[in-house]
Amino acid sequence: MATTTATITLSSSDIADNSMSISNTATLTNAGNDTGMTKTTGLTRVTLAATTPVVLIDAGATTRLNVITRGKMYIKNLNARGDGSKFVTVEMDAASPVEIGRLYGGDWCFFPFDGGAGNDIGLDPSDATSTDLEYIIFYE
Amino acid sequence: MATTTATFTLSSSDILSQAISLSTTANLYKDTTTATGLEQMNYHRAIIPTGTNFDLIPESAGLENNSNYLYVCNKNTDVTHYVTISIGAEVIGSLYAGDWMFIPWSNDVSDTEGATDPSGNDTSIEIQAFTASNTIEYALFHVGETLLTAGDS
Repeated sequence: MATTTATITLSSSDIADNSMSISNTATLTNAGNDTGMTKTTGLTRVTLAATTPVVLIDAGATTRLNVITRGKMYIKNLNARGDGSKFVTVEMDAASPVEIGRLYGGDWCFFPFDGGAGNDIGLDPSDATSTDLEYIIFYE
Repeated sequence: MATTTATFTLSSSDILSQAISLSTTANLYKDTTTATGLEQMNYHRAIIPTGTNFDLIPESAGLENNSNYLYVCNKNTDVTHYVTISIGAEVIGSLYAGDWMFIPWSNDVSDTEGATDPSGNDTSIEIQAFTASNTIEYALFHVGETLLTAGDS
C-alpha cells in the first residue's frame, strides 16, 4: 500500500472578530479500512477552448474507472482570475448534468467520488477563453 | 471585505516511483470581482444519525449561481463509518472517518427541471450517515444567504 496525505488549511484574520484557522489532514485510504490507496491517474493537464461541456472522467462502462468504488479527485483552474467573470463549472453525471460549483481562475477543489455509471465528472466552461486545468485522481 | 485563503497540500513518497508533492493556495473571492473577498461564513458541527438523508445546507436564492465554497470533514475515527454527500439525487461521494472535502458550490437553483437540473431545482447539499452516527464539521463561505422573514414579524 501507499501513503498519500491531503491537507487543507482555511484561514482568515478578518472574516470574523477573531482569527480563524481550520486545518485537517486526511490519509487517502480504501473504503472502510485503513489500507492506503494504490492507484492514481498521475497529475494531468488539460486545456479547454470552447464553451462545449466536456467529460473529464468517464466513469462509465467503457473505461477502467468503471471499477472505482472510491476515489479522490483534485482539480485546479490554472488560469489567472482576471475580472472574476470567467470560470469552469464542475458537474456530475454528463448525461444529466448536476452542477457542483464554479472554479474561477486559481480555484481548486478536492472531493471524494464513488465512480460507476452515471457518475462522470464533467467540466462546463463559461466561455471560449483558453483555460488550463490540472487534475489528479487517487482510487482503489 | 475579508481575506480568506484555502491552501491544499498533497504528498506521497511511494504511490509512484517518484515522490508527489503538490501545494496550492486560493483566495475566496466574490463572483465577478477581481479581488473582493467573501465576507460571510457559517461554521458548524453536527452529529448525523443514520437512516435518513438530510439537507445539510439548504439552497438559498441569495447563493444562486455564485461563488460559494464548502468544506466538510468527517470527525469520526472508526474507518467503517461514513457519510454520503449529495446534490439533489446525485451522490458526489462518500466521506469516511477522517476524510474531508472542499468544493465550490454554485447553488444552481435557477434552473428549471430538465436537462440541466433533473433533480427538479433541488440543489441543496445533502448528507446521509451510514454504519453509525457521524460527527461532521462543515463551513460554508458564501456571498450571503437569503434570510427568511420571521413568522411572528
